[in-house]
Amino acid sequence: MTPTPIVFAPLFILATAIFVFSCWKRLSLTCLGKGDNRLDNIGRRIADTLGYAFAQRRVLAKPSGMIHLIIFWCFLVLLLANGEFILQGFFPSISFSKLPDMAFVLVLKAIDIASLLALGAVITASIRRIIAPPYPEARNSFEAFFILFLIAVLMLAYFGINAAKMAAMAVATRQIAIETFPISGWFVQFVPAGNEKLFHDLSWWIHAIVLLLFMNLLPLSKHFHIITAIPNVFLRRLEQPVLPQREEFKAGNSFGIDQIDGYSWKELLDTFSCTECGRCQNACPAHLTGKPLNPRQLIHDLKINLMQNGTALRQGQTAVKALIGEGEGAVSEEAIWACTTCMACLESCPVFIEQMPKLIPLRRHLVEMQAKFPEELLNLFENIEGRSNPWGIAPSERGKWANLLGERPFVAGETEYLFYVGCAGSFDSRSKQISVALALLLDKAGVNWGMLGKDELCCGDSLRRLGNEYAFETTAVKNAALFNELGVKKVIVQCPHCFTTLQNDYRQYGVELELIHHSQLLVQLAESGKLPLNNRVKELGVTTYHDSCYLGRHNGIYDEPRQVLELATGRPPKEMERNREDGFCCGAGGGRMWLEEFTGERINLVRVKEALEQQPDTICTACPYCMTMFEDGLKDLHKGGDVQVKDIAEVMAEAVLTKL
Amino acid sequence: MSENAKKPKRPRGRARLLEGKCIACGGRCEAACPVNCIVLDEAGAPIIDAPKCIGCTKCVKVCPASALEMSFTSQELAILAELEKSGTAVEEEDPEAAAIARLQAAYRGVWVFVEQEDGEAARVSWELLGKGKELATKLGTGLAAVVIGHNVEHLCSEAFCYGAEKAYLLDAPVYAAYRTQSYLEAMHHLINSHKPEVILMGATGMGRDLAGAVATRIGTGLTADCTGLDIDDKRNLMQTRPAFGGNIMATIMCDKYRPQMASVRPHVMKMPDEQKGATGEIIRSDYQVGEDSVLAKVLEVIKDNDATNQLDIGGAEFIVSGGRGLMGPENFAMLQELATELGGVVGASRSAVDAGWMSHDRQVGQTGKTVRPKIYIACGISGAIQHLVGMQDADLIIAINRDKDAPVFEVAHYGIVGDLFQIVPELTRQIKELKKNKGKVN
Repeated sequence: MTPTPIVFAPLFILATAIFVFSCWKRLSLTCLGKGDNRLDNIGRRIADTLGYAFAQRRVLAKPSGMIHLIIFWCFLVLLLANGEFILQGFFPSISFSKLPDMAFVLVLKAIDIASLLALGAVITASIRRIIAPPYPEARNSFEAFFILFLIAVLMLAYFGINAAKMAAMAVATRQIAIETFPISGWFVQFVPAGNEKLFHDLSWWIHAIVLLLFMNLLPLSKHFHIITAIPNVFLRRLEQPVLPQREEFKAGNSFGIDQIDGYSWKELLDTFSCTECGRCQNACPAHLTGKPLNPRQLIHDLKINLMQNGTALRQGQTAVKALIGEGEGAVSEEAIWACTTCMACLESCPVFIEQMPKLIPLRRHLVEMQAKFPEELLNLFENIEGRSNPWGIAPSERGKWANLLGERPFVAGETEYLFYVGCAGSFDSRSKQISVALALLLDKAGVNWGMLGKDELCCGDSLRRLGNEYAFETTAVKNAALFNELGVKKVIVQCPHCFTTLQNDYRQYGVELELIHHSQLLVQLAESGKLPLNNRVKELGVTTYHDSCYLGRHNGIYDEPRQVLELATGRPPKEMERNREDGFCCGAGGGRMWLEEFTGERINLVRVKEALEQQPDTICTACPYCMTMFEDGLKDLHKGGDVQVKDIAEVMAEAVLTKL
Repeated sequence: MSENAKKPKRPRGRARLLEGKCIACGGRCEAACPVNCIVLDEAGAPIIDAPKCIGCTKCVKVCPASALEMSFTSQELAILAELEKSGTAVEEEDPEAAAIARLQAAYRGVWVFVEQEDGEAARVSWELLGKGKELATKLGTGLAAVVIGHNVEHLCSEAFCYGAEKAYLLDAPVYAAYRTQSYLEAMHHLINSHKPEVILMGATGMGRDLAGAVATRIGTGLTADCTGLDIDDKRNLMQTRPAFGGNIMATIMCDKYRPQMASVRPHVMKMPDEQKGATGEIIRSDYQVGEDSVLAKVLEVIKDNDATNQLDIGGAEFIVSGGRGLMGPENFAMLQELATELGGVVGASRSAVDAGWMSHDRQVGQTGKTVRPKIYIACGISGAIQHLVGMQDADLIIAINRDKDAPVFEVAHYGIVGDLFQIVPELTRQIKELKKNKGKVN
């Protein structure tokens, strides 16, 4: 069989048509989604695409990512080879040999090397998938091994074509060819003498058919990401952190999402961009402790749901497969509630899929449309709605932690900083100590600060993360009015949840505040000399620092808390294995502080054990939730006597306020 | 003002502000004025549109600083003087008050709603009959029980034994299982037919559901969770209950509308003595709510009868709770002994449940149960806020902890700093002793 255009051309056209149809069938489903403008800031988007999609920045965060980098770049180089191949199928006279000699050698050498690297990479990938898969199910993925196999066949077929061509040459030219292209040249020995043309044609057709087969397998498998990943990165969400949208509370509106077309088109595109690499699930604290939530599985289930409901939804009917429920293609309620909103999944995804933000609208639906949420939240919602704090304590008690400090009202036009204490700092007996430490430090540094006292309302963070958007809106509107009335501009907070809510979420309510987390302020004050470091605190011994998710991944504050500790103790804290962007959640975010954990291991215990590996004397936190989780965890592990937990403000207070 | 030759109408005058006396209370006068002739100026003081004033004197009465008075023209003053002399001054009635008094005269009687499930009455209903009797006596009127259900006539006899003189009975299949709609219609019908002046209901799940619905339908006032009930000299029910997080006791009156509705929690009122064999009048009503018109249908009732380990501590009057300080599961037996002597149950804090010493249904706190017992004894519980949320509304909190700085002492009424392993058994022993001696004295 010769590579005759008469056979190849229609075959190619048919295969391509099927391919295009397959792609369209899936991608057109994204049109069912709501609108979303993702074409702002084109310059930044291009830069990000180059950095993340082409330089594979996040892929390389894991060492095994090197395998993918090689395959990716080899594919790009081999686009040249395959381009020539396909054109040759139509017009046999097209060939690189028509190029000037230098270019010809360069191109073919590059293709040779790329093919070998790709072959090596897929073999390594296969071995790795068997002996050290990213997650156990990956070992059994037929489609993964099949694709790797097909790539290997393509590479070998390419070598076969070249080898056959070389074998058919006159001895002298063959020798030169083998020397110039040693890789293809090595395969010449396998070409049976006298059957060079047959070998060539066989290799050619194997290459052709496998190529067309490979192309058509893409939309049907997770390898669709080859088409969708780069656009997905280009269209990524630029705002940080990811914020839910406001809801319009009008009669007749529906709230939250319970059908797949409630998501935006970009969120639906996400489901087609997943390579099922498992980085997200291996970072997810819920999954790692045995909860039914698995971010990778979530994206997969959303994709299945979309595809199963596509026909019905396109005809304007209701979905046949429910979005919230059990089994494949649905998200279970337990999984929905298991999320701590720590953002580890978003941080780890190489193609910028947003897993966690897809859960919040589901929570909104359960809370606002069905009133179906874990029992423990009844108390929480009632207490915040009625008394504006999660524990239902009389609001008049709020300012009492500062009784010994005297009246510190925030006077509009006079006070520079509002110290927004937060509910924990006002009511929780352990967190009150942080408030006191911070207040004393502020006084020492001569900061002009005031607080709202009993007029302070809960920021509402837990409400928003749990999907009770209506109660959140009520709280936010009140708070916004209060801040605007008092002309509040600069706010000091000790709680990262208050930080992110007042800084970011409240922008949606017309409030632009300059938030300063106490770690940032303490560094500023210490470095400008306003806080004299009298006593480099030695008694705290070996310290280690736990990154708060809402401070770290949500708002990018990693250095300042560490700087506080270094300034106060004289040396930087020991780092835990999973730190900074990879930090492991304490388990209290996403409203889970108020919920029980019934499945698997306690998230906070896992993190406490990880901290204890550093053999610290003091574990340092910068968030009242983390503080509570760590203290409880240490008590549960009976380590309460050996290891203590301190907030960074308390550490700094010991350095500044005690004299040697 | 026109003068009537026969009987001179008493001039009412117009309201006037006494300069300098206004304390800018926020405009109670403005709120009270029925003809909206008062607006507040920038300082918060009233500006009275004198021509509009009808002289009802409401603003004068409501002003907390007595800064308003009725002013009369010299003509009106002359009339007043004459009326004074002739002694024919007729105290004009406030038309609104007169209307209310007429309305209320039609409502007589104290009713107690008898809550029942499967023909068994909730104990709170009998407690309320006891209190209801007291109220009815003060009002000089009768006490009636309201019994709604299916095959529940025997409850009328029981009600008579607890002091009811009458019992209104609605017995029909549509009332078999409680549904808001059917019971609401029934109560509405009964109230319109018989016009009680006071209705008491137990503040249970069913009571809370029904009371609010009935009050809204009738358009009257309801005070929930009352801790005290009494009658004032104007036949008004004085409904007392804690408010503002328990910081004050508020007495609430429903002085304009009838019937006056109040709900009371179980175990607040004293259980009356049972008068066996007492009789009374059963007033049967055949008012039926059409089954088809009731949208809620009871398809299945699943009873949770596993009472061995599962216990609802939410309803207990006395709770002895243990925390981390108990050190181990075996020590909870000590708490159980004390609880048994008190007739209560054992609860646990989160730490004890997490450690596996007690089951989750015993957990008191943010993510466990919220309890409102009469007495809560916290043993070896530090009192972290998440625990306090679950028990801070207890009537009496006693804390036993060896750490004098434990936060639990901030909310406890009585605290003992010491070793609970010595204190708790001693407490139990002394209570046993007291009970024995009490028996001897009697």
